[in-house]
Amino acid sequence: MKSFNNKYQPIITLVARLILGGVLFTAGALKAFKPSESAGATAAYKILPTDIAHVVGYALPWLEIAIAILLIIGLSARFAAVMGTVVMAVFIAAIISVWARGILIDCGCFGGGGAIDPTKAAQVHRAYLLEILRDLGLALCGLYLYFFPYGRLSIEKPLQVIEEQ
Amino acid sequence: MVKQAKAQSASKSGGDNFTRWLVIGMVVLVVSTGAIFSVVSQKSKANESFASLDGFKVGAAITATVDPANGSGITINTGAVKTIDLWEDPQCPVCNTFEQTNGQYIDDLVRSKKANVVYHVVSFIGDESVSAANAAYCAADEGHYLDFHKAMYLVQPSLENSGFYTTENLVKIGKYAGLTSQSFKDCVTKVSKLDLVKTAYDSMTTYKVQGTPTVFFNGKLWERKNSGFVLDEFTAAFEAS
Repeated sequence: MKSFNNKYQPIITLVARLILGGVLFTAGALKAFKPSESAGATAAYKILPTDIAHVVGYALPWLEIAIAILLIIGLSARFAAVMGTVVMAVFIAAIISVWARGILIDCGCFGGGGAIDPTKAAQVHRAYLLEILRDLGLALCGLYLYFFPYGRLSIEKPLQVIEEQ
Repeated sequence: MVKQAKAQSASKSGGDNFTRWLVIGMVVLVVSTGAIFSVVSQKSKANESFASLDGFKVGAAITATVDPANGSGITINTGAVKTIDLWEDPQCPVCNTFEQTNGQYIDDLVRSKKANVVYHVVSFIGDESVSAANAAYCAADEGHYLDFHKAMYLVQPSLENSGFYTTENLVKIGKYAGLTSQSFKDCVTKVSKLDLVKTAYDSMTTYKVQGTPTVFFNGKLWERKNSGFVLDEFTAAFEAS
């Protein structure tokens, strides 16, 4: 396992960056130009007071885009990976929170959002589970990048490597 | 692994710290610029939806009472032979569909005093429903509930709790509906009718109302046959009641 990682680490790092960055970029871009949708989706979680939830809804897509760009081009990848992991942890916590409180919503992860009527409870709970698993996978990508931030096709390279070349 | 560990120690040098702060600064810049852009575009979208209220015709003032006996509904034409109880949430999209189909007919019934109509403005969709319901009671106090109700549904945002029913926008809806007084503005700003809003919401259980819109004709629940709303069906149901 260790030798496998040693051998392929730069490629795994690249793939992890592209997965986490790609998903964050898509999610951010789909929401960034629909502020009222995003604000409504955030408010639907009923975690923050409505006013604050709206501000979070306006800012969150842009934060996702910013983290995504850093990850994709490989600039401050470790910092971006930590941010990405934190964001995923928050998403997971938020979904667990709505699930536990019995609220039925569309997560609004890629746009949309808002309450869903009780007849679709089973589908919504299934969606919650898949969303938690997906975000968990993305958080693992972030965690890997924390330990191995430098890989292929990255703007930033470890100083050591530059010296060796 | 070894290489990366060394790189990590190298990144503690001053130069890299500078890069880090630069990157953090850029992220903050992008996020705040984006958020400001979103707020501004949200504002202009709200203004656009108000354009649909241009030329809104304000009707004559009508006295409305609020009766604790019926769950603090906004009651008009007490004593008329037929009664319609209407349960609506300001943010509920289906209520808007109902309003666009049957609203004018009900308005006419109220204005011609043919029916005693009780508007139960409930607020189970969230904070913005509470704000809007409060404003509805404020409007009822000043005799323009019907106009406010109509205007409010005309500009109803398609998304719930998305920052549209703010104090500012509710006062603005009121202006279109003929509510220009300082007392209305104060009532909306101070959320003066919160008690009534709560009583109305709590009475849903008493009347076994599980969703909105719900209609009672003379206290009897109306069960519609069509999946959508059809004016003829509603009219016939009222006539038969």
